[in-house]
Amino acid sequence: MPEVDPQLLDILVCPLTKGPLVYDRAAQELLSAEAGLAYPIRDGIPIMLADEARPLRDEEKARLKAKPQS
Amino acid sequence: MKPSDPLRVFDARALRRHRARAARLGLNAEFLFERAAADLAERLGEIRRRFPVALDFGCRGGVMARALDGDGGVERLISADPSEALARRAPRPAVVLDLEALPFAPRSFDLVLSPLLLHWVNDLPGTLLQLRLMLKPGGLLLATLFGGETLSELHAALIEAELETAGGASPRVSPFADLRDLGGLLQRAGFTDPIIDADRTDVDYVDAFALMRDLRAMGEANAQRERRQSLTGRRTLARAAELYRARSAALGGRIVATFQTINLTAWAPPG
Repeated sequence: MPEVDPQLLDILVCPLTKGPLVYDRAAQELLSAEAGLAYPIRDGIPIMLADEARPLRDEEKARLKAKPQS
Repeated sequence: MKPSDPLRVFDARALRRHRARAARLGLNAEFLFERAAADLAERLGEIRRRFPVALDFGCRGGVMARALDGDGGVERLISADPSEALARRAPRPAVVLDLEALPFAPRSFDLVLSPLLLHWVNDLPGTLLQLRLMLKPGGLLLATLFGGETLSELHAALIEAELETAGGASPRVSPFADLRDLGGLLQRAGFTDPIIDADRTDVDYVDAFALMRDLRAMGEANAQRERRQSLTGRRTLARAAELYRARSAALGGRIVATFQTINLTAWAPPG
């Protein structure tokens, strides 16, 4: 599986909030706590479209809030 | 944004669909994009500077990357397109994005190159502002977009044919940006020293149907929200093709289509 480019990850933000994203490597998703969305990464290509994103479940939001974002 | 908002002329999903279709058709009508990318590469070559990180905004199948051929002072090019099908064909790293909600942190790029994409933006002031913010201080925006004279002959023929055969005209050709507006828009978005000029390319076709086939192969077919959903009747299209041919000046019964390209150069203010 092609990995997403780490230098690209460094400059990506949530397109809706411009807030930080958390990379979930196992799920191949970029999580935006503020927008409550998970953007998919397919074959190493981040798909930064709100209408392709998955709404976060409550426990995922709670987990993101508990963990300080780097 | 309400779906009925009259200011949102273009439908982002339709644009993605059209670009995906262009990918499926094999990107076999890329000549205007190749020319735009070559022009951008040439203009970049005149600016003797290094650009450590650049964004290819509207990468299609990598037409800009091929024109640069590893040159132009660009050390690292990130491909970006609204269509996943196109982003997959471009050199990595690649990202899929919405033209009006850009996913980049402030001060991420030294350069943004954009070959023929910005004419699909609804909120051009908003997108220009986002582009300026994601440029580093002193960063450069080099872009081309289709201008208001693009496809004027097709536009006129379709409107006249619709008025004749359907008793009303619906928007059929995109309302391209007006050359005069762009300098002010760039300055309001915080860019300095904007330079704007226009080129005109006349392309001749066998008939209006061949032109429309090419537009689909380019992914440049009409993506307006208010487009009448019912199929434009065969009769209307045939009449438009007739009107187009009757007015066209090309020799040998061929028709001419005008493509106006607006070129813009603008800088993010130095730190």
